[in-house]
Amino acid sequence: MKRMFLIYKTCMKANIASAITYRVNFILNSLIMLIGNVLFPLVTVFIYNSNASFAGWTFKEALLIQSVFILSTACAGIFFNGIMWNTMSHVVEGTLEVVLIKPTSSLFLLLARSFEFESIGLLGGGVIMFGYALSGIEGVTFSSWLLFLLLFGAGLLVMFGVALIVAAISFKWVANSRLPEMFESIKSFGRYPGTIFPKAVVVVSAFLFPVSMIAYFPASTLIGRWEPYFFIAIIPCVLFAAFGIWLYTYMLRSYKSAGG
Amino acid sequence: MFEMIKQRSRVMRAVAFVTYKEWSAYRSHSMVSIFVGPVYFLVQYYIWSAVYSGESSINGMSLSHMLSYFCATMLINYLTMDFADWNLQMLIRTGKFITFSLRPMNHMFYALSQKAGHRVLGLLFEFIPCFMIFFFIFNIDVLPANLLYAMLSIAMAFMMNFFIHYSIGMVAFWMVQSSSIRNFFNLCEGIFSGSLIPLVFFPKSLQMASFFLPFQYTTFLPAMVYTGSYTLADITLPIPQVLLLQLIAVIIAGVVCRVLYAVSLKHFTGVGA
Repeated sequence: MKRMFLIYKTCMKANIASAITYRVNFILNSLIMLIGNVLFPLVTVFIYNSNASFAGWTFKEALLIQSVFILSTACAGIFFNGIMWNTMSHVVEGTLEVVLIKPTSSLFLLLARSFEFESIGLLGGGVIMFGYALSGIEGVTFSSWLLFLLLFGAGLLVMFGVALIVAAISFKWVANSRLPEMFESIKSFGRYPGTIFPKAVVVVSAFLFPVSMIAYFPASTLIGRWEPYFFIAIIPCVLFAAFGIWLYTYMLRSYKSAGG
Repeated sequence: MFEMIKQRSRVMRAVAFVTYKEWSAYRSHSMVSIFVGPVYFLVQYYIWSAVYSGESSINGMSLSHMLSYFCATMLINYLTMDFADWNLQMLIRTGKFITFSLRPMNHMFYALSQKAGHRVLGLLFEFIPCFMIFFFIFNIDVLPANLLYAMLSIAMAFMMNFFIHYSIGMVAFWMVQSSSIRNFFNLCEGIFSGSLIPLVFFPKSLQMASFFLPFQYTTFLPAMVYTGSYTLADITLPIPQVLLLQLIAVIIAGVVCRVLYAVSLKHFTGVGA
């Protein structure tokens, strides 16, 4: 365990050192990532500025959901999303054996190498937006904070599962850079209040492909609109992440080297 | 003159055909849109249905107009999508651009021909299947209000997209790594082209500014022509005038792009071959 921690720390240090070396590129890319993700709440801003709204949701409540989505995206970006691109690149170039021959779990090593400091700007932006949205929400208690953290963690498991599933598919569907786009499109259901979708979509997005857990469920607990089934939905989130790990490990066997 | 046009069209056809064959090997890339497009549309459908509950019109657009607008923007994007900027900066950075100095045609025309071939693939594997899905499954009115006007506007959007992306790609003649500039540009395009939300939702000052920016001519304007009415910043224009406005914008973008190309070539220093 201590060894794994040391490996992770070394990979983190390497990524931060690289960010400091190419600091202009780092700052620009962090800013662009931040602004790019802020675009989606912009739609909500324009909708509410036009005197329209998501039925039953105030502006700050809707914004809270989207800020939680940004926070989840930022955490995923920092800790594990890079595994999709790293795996794809290794598969295309036929260089994965460099990882496979290392005396540690290849999945863990790829995850450690996926640490990406660039999403820190996005995390900062998300925190500011979250704070702003939260300023319009009353009655947030200590227990709702605890519930929020629990569901937020479950949402991260979904993102983790998605990253691993995409990476695993890339062992077979080589060089398809649009693969993450497919999962991004499904995740977009999680950006908005679940009440705007029909019941069937809510069930699918809660239990089958639990994208509601990324933002809608955690934000709803802070607003005080939580439902008991939110907690049942933690189970598919855990299963989703477990499936991701299993699929990745299984598909790793399909890897064909291009030689050294 | 006639001979030159004939010869150029022959060259364009040949390059477009080769590009089509080359990218056909990766047609699954394009076919991802058959899944992604309808899923994104479904999200938009529910969002706007919720927003319009109890409202018949917001910013002059009805719900059906709004849904047709989003379908039109997606379909038009499949026909006009461009990555000439990425391609050009890659050729410059790796020094491969030098080989184009030896060829009896300029790279700009070559890239345009490549785009034509690539977008034929988009027509077959993205536009037609998604059109069918929107029309038959979602029951959205995706037929253009006037086929001729829509085709003219999309053709101009195709050229506009190429000119502005190629111009951005030329930044690489000055900067070795231009990815941040391209990303920044793509961000502006995302906001001001109208693909995120119709420009009529923007504050009035930004709507006015959109007349002078190149972005609305690639998405918002052709989508409005496609759906049959055009209003921006409280200015309603008849479609022929809108097409004239787009034509002026395309000519300006084309001239700027050509001038930049001439200047850029003088600046190019290649290594290797």
